[in-house]
Amino acid sequence: MSKVDLRITPSRSVLPASQEPQLLYALVELSAQSGATKMPRLPLNLCLVIDRSSSMRGERLQQVKQAAMQILDLLGDHESFALVTFNDRAEVVVSAQLARARAEIKRQISAIEAAGGTEMATGLALGVQELQRAMMPRAVHRLLLLTDGRTYGDEGRCVEIARRAQSRGIGITALGIGSEWNEDLLETIAARENSRTHYITSAAEITKIFTAEVERMHNIFAQDVHLRAMLPSQALLRSLDRVRPYIGPLPVIEEADFVWTAALGDWPENDVQALLMELVVPPLPVGRHTLLRLGLRYRTPGSDGATASHEQVLTVTTRNPDEVSDEVDPTVKHWLERLVAYRLQASAWQAVEEGKLEEATRRLQMAGTRLFEAGEIELARTVQEEATRLLRSGQASAEGRKRIKYGTRGLIGREGQS
Amino acid sequence: MVICSHCQAQQLDGTIFCTVCGASLIHARSTRQTTASLNRAAAEAPQLDGDDATIVPAPATKTESATIALVVLSSGRRIVLPVTSELVIGRKDQQRNFFPDVDLSLDGGYDAGVSRRHARIVCHNGSYVLEDLGSSNGTFLNRQRVSPDRPVPLHHGDEIQFGMLLVRFETNG
Repeated sequence: MSKVDLRITPSRSVLPASQEPQLLYALVELSAQSGATKMPRLPLNLCLVIDRSSSMRGERLQQVKQAAMQILDLLGDHESFALVTFNDRAEVVVSAQLARARAEIKRQISAIEAAGGTEMATGLALGVQELQRAMMPRAVHRLLLLTDGRTYGDEGRCVEIARRAQSRGIGITALGIGSEWNEDLLETIAARENSRTHYITSAAEITKIFTAEVERMHNIFAQDVHLRAMLPSQALLRSLDRVRPYIGPLPVIEEADFVWTAALGDWPENDVQALLMELVVPPLPVGRHTLLRLGLRYRTPGSDGATASHEQVLTVTTRNPDEVSDEVDPTVKHWLERLVAYRLQASAWQAVEEGKLEEATRRLQMAGTRLFEAGEIELARTVQEEATRLLRSGQASAEGRKRIKYGTRGLIGREGQS
Repeated sequence: MVICSHCQAQQLDGTIFCTVCGASLIHARSTRQTTASLNRAAAEAPQLDGDDATIVPAPATKTESATIALVVLSSGRRIVLPVTSELVIGRKDQQRNFFPDVDLSLDGGYDAGVSRRHARIVCHNGSYVLEDLGSSNGTFLNRQRVSPDRPVPLHHGDEIQFGMLLVRFETNG
C-alpha cells in the first residue's frame, strides 16, 4: 500500500493583523511513498492515433513506428492495444486486441506509409471506437494522439469527440511535433482530467516520450482523486492551478458555503503533484487561526474500489503589522512566478487575437521578466525574442509561440525534470 | 491595499505579483514611502492606455534644441533628455545616494535586471556611442551583446536592451 503525503506551504506563515482582506498563497504538494508490497497494476486499454500525412514522411514516421513497437513490448498479455492512422481519411491498422500476436501486430505497424493531408476528427472517432470495443471494467483507458499538421474545418468535431470520450473515462494524451500543428486545439482537447498535451521538438524524442507516457499510465496508484478545501467564513478560494508536473488551471466547484472541490483524475505514483492556491483571507485579529482544511479522497486500484482519504490543516499566526516582515517563502514564490508567466503569455496571445499588439508585447515582456527571475533564462530569451518580433512584424513565429505556450507550462521534453 | 507601481492597479495586501500586469510587488511595498512622489510623477507622465491598440509613439517630433529620447517599450514611457556629453542609465538607490541620469526603476527595472550603474550613452560631435558599465545582466544593441570594454555606435531607431528591459533610442537631429 502506498502512503500519501500531503503538505501545505503558505507564502507567509505570519500575517499582519488587518482590517482589510489580504491574499495568501498556498502550495499544496501531494506525493506518494511506495509501501513494501507492490501495487497491483491496472490493465491498460491503449489506442494510438497517428497522423500519417505526407509531412510525417521520413524520420518522424520511422520513430513513431519504432515507438509503437516498443510500447507493444511494454504491454502485458492482458492489456489491449489498437492503432489508428489518419490522413485525408482514417484507417484502423491494428484493431483493438490483447497484446499477444506481437509479431503480426508489428508487421502491420511497419507497413504504415506517409501520404496525404491531415483530417484529425475521423481518426479520433475511430480511435475512441476501438477503445470502447475493448472496455474492461477495471482498466485505464487512454488514447495517445500524435499530429504534426493543422486539421482544417473539423476542429469543433475533434473537441466534441474528445469530450465525449473523456466523459466515459478515456484519457487523451495529445502530442504535437514540428511547428505546423494547432496548439490551441491540442490544449483544448487535453484540458480535462486524465488528459495532457506535450510538445515534441524533435523526432528523436518520440520514442522516449511515448514510452514514458505508457509507463506513467502503468503506475497509476490512485484513481478519481478529489481535493476538497474548507475555508473559514468570509474567506475565498480565488484560484487553483496545477504547477507540477506541469502548469495549468484546475476548475473548482463551490460545493457548499466556503467549501470548494476539484477533480484531479488519476495519479501516477511517480508524479509529484503540486497545486497553487490563492486564498483571500478575511480581516483577522492577533492570534492563531486555522485558514484551510484540505481533504484528499481517492480510489485505490487493488482494493475493489474502496476509497481512502487524507486531511491536512493550515494554521497561520497573525501579529501586529510592525512585527511582521515582508519575506515570502521562496518555493511558493518560485512556482507563483512560473504560474504568473504562464498566465501572462496566455493573455498575450489573447491580446494578439484581439489585435492589441502593444498590450500583447507588454505582457510577453513581463512574462519574460518573470521567467528570468524564476531562473528559466533560455525560455525568457525566447519570450523576449518573440515579443520583439511581435512588435516589429505584428506576428509571432509559429515555433516561438509553441515553445512559449508549452515551455511556460513545463511541457517540452523535460519529463521527470520539473 | 497595495498600488502596483508599474500599472497603478489596486491589489490586495499580500499580493506578490500584480494580477493586472504581472510586476513584482514585493519591493514596491518596502520602498513605498520613498517612491510616493515618484509614483505620482510617473502617473502624470504619458502612459499608454491599457485597452488601446496604440503603436509606440512615432519618432522624432521637431523641437528647437537637440534632444534624445529613450522609449521604454514595456511601459510606453518616453524619456526625453537634453543632449549632454554623458548619460548614465541605471536604477536609483537612495540609500547609497546614487542617482543615474536615466532611472529605469519606474519601468520595472529591478525586475528586468537593470543594474544601478548599467550603461552610458556618450555624445561626441553629434554622434552617439553606447557603453556597458559592467552590468550584471548585460546590455544588448539590436540584440547583439555589448561588451563592457567596447563602446558601440548608436543610431536613431536602435533597440537597446538593459537586462530584460527593451528600449528604443531616438534622436531628433
